[in-house]
Amino acid sequence: MNSLDFFVFNTIHYPFIPPPEENRSSWVTLSNKYFDPELGYTVYNDALEVSASAEKFGYDGTLVNEHHATAWGLQPAPNLSAMHIVANTKHIPVGIIGNALPLYNNPVRVAEEIAMLDVISGGRIISGFVVGTGMEYFSAPVSPAFARERFWEAHDLILKAWTQEGPFAWEGEHFHIPHVNPWPRPIQKPFPEIWIPGLGSAETIRKCVEKGYHYMTVFSPKWMVKKFFDSYREYAEKIGVVVDRKKLKLAVMTYVAETEAQAHREAKAHLQWIYNTGLRHPQHYHGPPGYSTKQGFAAMMALRGSLPEQPNLTYEELLRDRYIIVGTPQQVGEILHEEYVEELGIGGLIGMGTWGSMPKWMIMKGLQLAAEELLPLFREKGGKPDYLKKAPLVPGSVAERAATFGKPKYPSLLKVDGIAGSIPRETAHVAEVIDSARNGKVTAPTTV
Amino acid sequence: MAIQTIAREAVPKPRNYYTEPSFLDVEGVPTAYRRKGAGKSVVFLHGAGLTRMWLPFYERMSASFDFIAPEHPGFGETPMPPWLRSFDDYVLHYHEFFRKLGLQKINLVGFSLGGWTAAEFASFYPDAVDTLTLIVPAGLRADHPLPDVFQDGPDLPLRLFNDLSKAIDVAPDPTPEEITFGYGEATTFARLAWTPRYNLALERRLHRVTAPALVIRAEDDRLISDEIAVKYRRALPNARDLIVPGTGHAAIHEEPQLVAEAIGRFISENAS
Repeated sequence: MNSLDFFVFNTIHYPFIPPPEENRSSWVTLSNKYFDPELGYTVYNDALEVSASAEKFGYDGTLVNEHHATAWGLQPAPNLSAMHIVANTKHIPVGIIGNALPLYNNPVRVAEEIAMLDVISGGRIISGFVVGTGMEYFSAPVSPAFARERFWEAHDLILKAWTQEGPFAWEGEHFHIPHVNPWPRPIQKPFPEIWIPGLGSAETIRKCVEKGYHYMTVFSPKWMVKKFFDSYREYAEKIGVVVDRKKLKLAVMTYVAETEAQAHREAKAHLQWIYNTGLRHPQHYHGPPGYSTKQGFAAMMALRGSLPEQPNLTYEELLRDRYIIVGTPQQVGEILHEEYVEELGIGGLIGMGTWGSMPKWMIMKGLQLAAEELLPLFREKGGKPDYLKKAPLVPGSVAERAATFGKPKYPSLLKVDGIAGSIPRETAHVAEVIDSARNGKVTAPTTV
Repeated sequence: MAIQTIAREAVPKPRNYYTEPSFLDVEGVPTAYRRKGAGKSVVFLHGAGLTRMWLPFYERMSASFDFIAPEHPGFGETPMPPWLRSFDDYVLHYHEFFRKLGLQKINLVGFSLGGWTAAEFASFYPDAVDTLTLIVPAGLRADHPLPDVFQDGPDLPLRLFNDLSKAIDVAPDPTPEEITFGYGEATTFARLAWTPRYNLALERRLHRVTAPALVIRAEDDRLISDEIAVKYRRALPNARDLIVPGTGHAAIHEEPQLVAEAIGRFISENAS
């Protein structure tokens, strides 16, 4: 097993917006008049090309996320991006760090879409479940005061829909659906890998440990994520769960170039855009009422109390507190090994991606250089990602399928006018079969 | 189902106007209320904040009336029951609260969110209301969308008050305890009214409220549009209105004397 997995992350930022001094918030209130569809065509397709390229570079997975009403990310419908990436790749896992479950009045739609993606991709889907940022609730017909309740109820409903044969009735506190019966069901058993991003909520950490989900931290300084991973480990120890380090994931924006000076020269302005413009929002947007419990709110206030507001962070502070990691592949490799693999004990880095205002050519150069000189430092001999060491879930060809699975479990028998019995789908067009059936000679083939 | 008893929580105490409340158990909810004065009973339903205080407006009202100011479930010192979902829950809560206090025909006054609650109560129990006073009430859909009260954050006082000097003595201290407490009250508010911020059924039901009604508008309300107050006056069969000159939404804080006198006159002339 490789010591650290590398995931490419795609937010599809839209950096063609007013600079900070003319822009109070890139979320909720920044008018979509700044979105130019013709330019958007390029932005989307460039970003999705980066996502798909992760496979050929040899990354461990490629991820998209979900945000609404913001220039920060153009993926309100991340399952659509995922489908595009699935269609342009063969083997690499594709992760959706959506779907923002509480925002939707029919969680079965999520169960259906993820199952569709999972089947079509041949079992390559990582299903994130997210509460969404506080900002999303300003543009949704859902009170943040019910976000957590809806999140876990939707989660329970989706898991039941994936694991129990339908139809069944769901009679919950927030959702009532008389016939839950999603077609299709996912191909991964018992269900796709589940990742939940967290900003330290104790409840999220506990549930991830209890249910064996992957826990992922985002956009926080290292000292803070250390607390989150420590509480994960403490709780795991308390309830007797052995920690699988591969389930601990960290998102930290990472960029490598040929020399240290060159890396900073290339990354600085674009990574600063993330904090001083892209993430810019009034602080109270982040935690609308009820989004956290009172206790959670007080704890977060205490934890963040000593922090400068993100838009005011300087590039030096971003580097120092490890909001970002920039350097040569060797320098970044050392930091990742010593601080993240050894010290924090994580197994997955969501590091490289379409960060900030960076142009596509620069992103691709960084991805290639990291693939050549950084990823191999953490790989077993041969340099393969772990997913290529496992047998695929689906046959690679028709012949393989026929040899492995034989005929369908349930035969397809067709009723045709003028014929008393049914005729098998495979021979429904064969005259001799039709004639015999008309004379009442053919009976249905035996079912499995 | 058995009645669930909700535990009281310790709350931070505002530096001005704090008084200890009395508590009444209302179907498991320990309901805080403050009461002072003599004469006709007047019940005041507060807005979405500025709780735990015996405000100058209350003091003036209590000079002429038996003035009762309960705190809604999830506000002030009344804890939030986990089942709280909607204004219907408040209507039934207050029906029981009034019954326990032995109040029959009520002079009901509601401010802002409390105005919405009072109007809901009156539409369900028109016979229990002797007079109805709605001060800059929420609850109906205006012709133009309201500003987003939740989006204002720390700027909210600028929208509520025209005269910010009147906000100083009631503004919460910026301590972590007060900020967290305020977050809790805002959470209750968000349970009730994040979406939708109006009740279309209420407008249709208001014709049931035949009691004399007074709608108090603020001259320059930049939070709850004056269109809503006008809609109430038109939808209530026996309503009149008046405009408090010069104030923003926080009319009872900016002009406590003037508003108290207007309500006093209205109740004295119209209560049975």
